[in-house]
Amino acid sequence: MASRQTKPVDEVPRIEVLDESDRNPGVRTVRVIRPEPQNASFFPATLKGLGVTLKHFTKNFFRSRPKGNTDIETLDYPAIPRSGEAFGDVRPDPETRPERFPDYYPDRFRGLHRLMKRDDGRVRCVACMCCPTVCPANCITIIPAETEDASVEKYPAVFEIDELRCVVCGLCVEACPCDAIRMDTGMHAPPVEERGQAIWTKDKMLETKPVHRKRDATSIATQGGVGPDWRDTE
Amino acid sequence: MSDHKTDNKPDKTAAGKAETTPPNTVTLTIDGREVTVPPNTNVLEAAQSIGIEISHFCYHPGLSIAACCRQCLVKVDKMPKLQPSCQLIASDGMVVHIADPDATLARQQMLEFTLLNHPVDCPICDKAGECTLQRFYFDHDNAPSRLDVAKVRKPKVVDLGPHIVLDAERCILCTRCIRVCDEVAGEHQLEMRYRSDREELGTAPGAVLDNPYSINTVDVCPVGALTAKDFRFTMRAWELMATPSVCNGCATGCNIEIHHKNERAWRLIPRHNPDVNQYWMCDEGRFTYRALRDNRLAGPVIDGLPASWDRALGVAADKLKAALDGDKSKLGVILSAQHSNEDNFVLSKLARDIWQLGKIYLGGKAPVPERADDKLRDADVNPNTAGVKAVARAAGYTLGDKSALERDLTGGTLSALLVLGNDIELSDEALTALAGLDALIVIASSEDRIARRTDVTLPCAMWAESHGTITNRQGRVQRMHAAFPPPGQAMPAWEIINRLGQACDVALGYTHPRTIFKELCGAVDAFKDAEWGKPVRPLQLRFAGSRG
Repeated sequence: MASRQTKPVDEVPRIEVLDESDRNPGVRTVRVIRPEPQNASFFPATLKGLGVTLKHFTKNFFRSRPKGNTDIETLDYPAIPRSGEAFGDVRPDPETRPERFPDYYPDRFRGLHRLMKRDDGRVRCVACMCCPTVCPANCITIIPAETEDASVEKYPAVFEIDELRCVVCGLCVEACPCDAIRMDTGMHAPPVEERGQAIWTKDKMLETKPVHRKRDATSIATQGGVGPDWRDTE
Repeated sequence: MSDHKTDNKPDKTAAGKAETTPPNTVTLTIDGREVTVPPNTNVLEAAQSIGIEISHFCYHPGLSIAACCRQCLVKVDKMPKLQPSCQLIASDGMVVHIADPDATLARQQMLEFTLLNHPVDCPICDKAGECTLQRFYFDHDNAPSRLDVAKVRKPKVVDLGPHIVLDAERCILCTRCIRVCDEVAGEHQLEMRYRSDREELGTAPGAVLDNPYSINTVDVCPVGALTAKDFRFTMRAWELMATPSVCNGCATGCNIEIHHKNERAWRLIPRHNPDVNQYWMCDEGRFTYRALRDNRLAGPVIDGLPASWDRALGVAADKLKAALDGDKSKLGVILSAQHSNEDNFVLSKLARDIWQLGKIYLGGKAPVPERADDKLRDADVNPNTAGVKAVARAAGYTLGDKSALERDLTGGTLSALLVLGNDIELSDEALTALAGLDALIVIASSEDRIARRTDVTLPCAMWAESHGTITNRQGRVQRMHAAFPPPGQAMPAWEIINRLGQACDVALGYTHPRTIFKELCGAVDAFKDAEWGKPVRPLQLRFAGSRG
């Protein structure tokens, strides 16, 4: 194409005006007259490209896994968990296969949310609204309410996360000052038939267990005031 | 210092001219910068005037000086000790050092001392985000607590009165709230008791914090010790947007900020205006936001059934035309002291200048004499009585009052009524007569009172939802800004009247309340010097810094 500029002017495409609009000045019906193709044979390049395709096809078709040495890196998830470096060494084994949390997921994998509980089973969350504030997807809805217990005062009457909207960024976990929300369930957002089913409620998130073996369900963070009232000690 | 004492107040026009320094000023040096202030200004305010903020908790511009928090210590040349700048009156030749290492260290240590027994429960504290202690902590100290013994625990969730809850642990003992009760409300209802680190706030013996200005204590509280039951735990401060407006609770017209989110008002906060309400407003006024979301009309109603705007305006216009073609003297119009000057002016123009009607009344709520005091609360619970009267006076007619309206209704001299606003409390006889009218067309915001008995009800915006001005009891024309749109299909009253006129073949042709206001300024003497002001974008409190 670089040589085009050196060619005579009559060889570049030009236009022939067939009709001109009366109502809309500047609007014309034209025919584009292109120069004759000087070098119209594209066949060699096309065949060369098809050859590359054929090479990869035969390589992957006849020398597929588990022998290795293919270009396909797709895993047969969840049938074959990844183990070690070699992709094809492990056959799916129903006995040893992890049920829900395949071990090729890293420790810090962020799954669906769950809510932590206090020692007495109540929700840890104090409805401070830090997570809906920081949430970039606006997927967290909290309606705070007051409790009778003066040491708790505030709790979420409604805590809902729209898992369809969630972008799994984990900022809610980072923002939480009470270790009340975690994303260590190892679960993907399940397929749903209606949008409403993807909204996870407080009860649902309180029931969800952490799937990672190494994690405990309780939090080591302390909560509430420390020490007795001075009136009680005297 | 006493040489310079005069009772001249700071004059804004004089302060603008920097070259000609009036004799009644004081010049001092703050951190190497010369500052000229009026006499009797304290050093803290003098520093504020050049944009230097000295941290403080107990000082409040609207209250007396206590100097008990010791957070505003500064170093002054020729003075042996650090001085609390809020209590130190600026004098000529004074040299103040705010950024001095000694003074900075003193303030930092004072802050640590204040924080010693503070529970730091910011996540559940309603003040978080607008807390003075939080802000100064980040400015000054920003270090973890060095306390290695248990904190002093104090009562939490103490019910002080009908509107206020106290968390004594969070209290930093600044006594601002006590001074608000003493100096603003004039009732001594709060007190400090016990001593040293066990000192705590409580109600005075036999007293309950129930004065009509009690929620001002929450505004002045620099921490979250005092919280309003009304707003407590509903919203975090940083989620809200603030739009300046004027309280529509009574004729005083306190300047306020509407704090809103999701097209809903969540609280009203007083806005400083030295000529009207200083820094305060009454509790009743704060709760007027509830009317913005109760029983609101979202669409036009014909004979109790929902209808479209086109049909409702058509039916209303037909009825009005029939009334105009018949005996014109039997058609009455009611202006509303609850609506803005613009709404009333448009209706007044339509009724008087164009239709030449004789029966024009003033509607609004009945006065409540027992709520009046010599501070902010007024017996007239309509925000714009003065404005409507000024409009009527300029147009050269007298407004009929409620008794005249009742007399005309029961006497049968009215057959059709066009009503702005639904806040009219009529006698039972008059209400029966109202139901018997040939045509009753009401422009109403909520579906209570007379809006239930109408032929056509046209839903209008309320004060927080439309731009406009109202005139308070002093005759000040004050601007209200629309914070959020009206519910459903409701629209501002001036626009409804504009369309109603159009349906009756009268081209009023208003497109914005500003154009109405301009016409109003030319037509009415009382509005001669009034200004519409600049458009205001809602301020997101997340970025507003702290306001404690």
